[in-house]
Amino acid sequence: MKNPERDEQLDAKGASRRKFLRTTAAGVGAAAGVPAAAEAFDFETFFQKNFRSMSDEEIDELTDRLARKYEKKYGKPFDVQATGPVDNVVFGYGLDISRCIGCRRCVDACVQENNQSRDPEIQWIRVLEFERERVVRGFELEDGNPYYDHEQAPAEGMVYLPIACQHCEDSPCTNVCPTGATWEEPDGIVVIDYDWCIGCRYCMAACPYGARHFNWAEPNIPADEVNTNIHPLGNRPRGRGVVEKCSFCIQRVRDGRYPACHEACPVGARKFGNLLDPNSEISYLLKNKRTFVLKAELNTRPKFFYFYG
Amino acid sequence: MADDDPGEVGDQSQPGGLATWVVLGLAVVLVLGLLSLRCALGPDAARSYPSRTLPPEPLPVLLPPPEMNDEYMPCDDCHEGEPTNPTPRELEDDHEETVLAHGDLWCLRCHDTDQRDNLRLSNGTLVDFEDSWKLCTQCHGQRLEEWKAGVHGKRTGHWWGAKEYWTCVACHDPHSPVFKPIEPKPPPVRPSSITWKPRIEPEETDREEP
Ligand code: HEC
Ligand code: HEC
Ligand code: HEC
Ligand code: HEC
Repeated sequence: MKNPERDEQLDAKGASRRKFLRTTAAGVGAAAGVPAAAEAFDFETFFQKNFRSMSDEEIDELTDRLARKYEKKYGKPFDVQATGPVDNVVFGYGLDISRCIGCRRCVDACVQENNQSRDPEIQWIRVLEFERERVVRGFELEDGNPYYDHEQAPAEGMVYLPIACQHCEDSPCTNVCPTGATWEEPDGIVVIDYDWCIGCRYCMAACPYGARHFNWAEPNIPADEVNTNIHPLGNRPRGRGVVEKCSFCIQRVRDGRYPACHEACPVGARKFGNLLDPNSEISYLLKNKRTFVLKAELNTRPKFFYFYG
Repeated sequence: MADDDPGEVGDQSQPGGLATWVVLGLAVVLVLGLLSLRCALGPDAARSYPSRTLPPEPLPVLLPPPEMNDEYMPCDDCHEGEPTNPTPRELEDDHEETVLAHGDLWCLRCHDTDQRDNLRLSNGTLVDFEDSWKLCTQCHGQRLEEWKAGVHGKRTGHWWGAKEYWTCVACHDPHSPVFKPIEPKPPPVRPSSITWKPRIEPEETDREEP
């Protein structure tokens, strides 16, 4: 029960053939790029350009269209802003492993802020639990257990490692995408164009951190909980058959706000800021603390740094 | 199925079979065509965004410390004019819930003897309860530096813009400062116990389960 991906595969093997056929049918439907198969076919969305090649007017059309679509679906007004990057900003994230207590407040805040499906459940942040003795030489992600269930956190002798998208500078996921639906923005955020994702899941196979998640079914968000302040590349509700992941809360950070997980952390283990600003928190800790990145040997150059405070 | 009768599928003399294949083939071509058309509209280069800056940052503010225990505020209600017993001891007549677990400090290292509604630094300066961080940091100097840099403790609001610095007592009980364990949020669902059903139910057929 260590690797959720592997578990999924094992599950599939044990399933009956009918179940297999059913899933394949759903998979093929998704892979054929039928956008949001559950909704009526929408010509405009089908022929929509990739976000990167859109003119400003086309982006306005997109935000209007999304606002209308979600208003109809959730019965309340949406504020869709395709806010662009800020000059001279590259985002970096720091996480203090000696503080984290594994309380999963960040996971909860992330689900709420970023409109993740409640059932089936999708969570962009996984908090892995390790035995303290086993991590003296570094974290083997495969040893981490995300399913721990204690009355009180932290448990005796355990350390915790929350993990989500590492926003790599040389990101394997964007390199393998056949449709150019995922890329790194000028401020370093790796984003997904959810109308261009065809659900082939290559990026999930390529990501060494297990940070990308697939919508096997139509996502399900209660209308009274849905976050109506959305960014087309970030927390807009996704459709069935697309891959999704952390965007550093693009809808918040481009307005200068902290990401939702940062705000939720009760111990202050999460640090966020501009790597290009020598006076930012993140620059201070890179200069003064022992930092490391996960799977450094793969040379993906993450912008998510772990450190011991 | 094909393996029941291998001749059936390839048998082109049956006009029905041929038509099915032609239609299927056309459908595949159509889908692939649409897909490649969609990809042909693909991105040429990175999007060039207009230049954008954020307004200058206002000065940060300190997050007000949590509400203090009403029962004891203000302190001078009881302490004004009362003599002080400076010996460290179990307090019995009041404050019995204040259990000290902070090094081997006694109350009066932090609380002023005569002005109970103030804290006192070791150089004798009185500070308000709201400024308790000045008290903490005179003994925990390294934390002060890291707290000012934003690495120890926490800031909320904006990474660029209005922000609040949490003070030490927002997280640490001054009388027993070790961070107490809290109840974690529930764990994620294991893939093996996922309960949702696919939306597309295949039509019920009378085919048997293999
Ligand atoms: C309800 C009355 C009451 C209030 C209000 C009160 N105290 Fe006290 N306090 C006492 C009593 C009675 C004692 C003596 C307890 C004993 O000797 O067992 C005491 C003792 C103390 C002592 C131990 C030293 C000494 O003087 O004997 C400190 C320190 C102290 N109080 C601080 C405070 C502070 C700080 C506040 C305000 C936040 C406060 N108290 C409010 C009743 C009160
Ligand atoms: C390390 C310094 C320190 C020591 C030692 C200390 N206190 Fe305090 N105490 C504080 C600070 C700081 C506050 C203000 C807390 C806040 O702002 O929430 C406080 C608040 C209080 C209060 C207000 C009610 C509350 O709990 O919020 C009482 C009563 C009190 N102290 C009594 C005592 C007594 C009695 C002792 C000794 C047994 C003692 N303190 C020892 C620093 C100290
Ligand atoms: C008079 C000096 C002094 C003051 C003032 C003081 N402390 Fe301490 N603090 C100590 C000592 C001594 C220890 C014990 C160190 C040890 O056990 O190694 C300690 C320990 C701690 C610890 C670590 C507890 C542990 O066991 O790991 C924390 C957290 C802490 N203090 C927070 C605070 C806060 C918050 C304040 C302000 C309300 C404060 N301190 C004020 C002297 C002080
Ligand atoms: C966001 C919450 C938060 C704030 C604010 C905060 N701390 Fe801490 N502090 C922690 C946590 C969590 C730990 C590690 C767990 C523990 O040992 O209690 C810690 C640990 C400590 C320690 C023990 C040594 C260590 O590094 O483990 C000291 C001393 C300390 N803090 C002092 C302070 C002082 C002084 C301030 C104010 C300038 C402050 N803290 C503000 C959360 C906070």
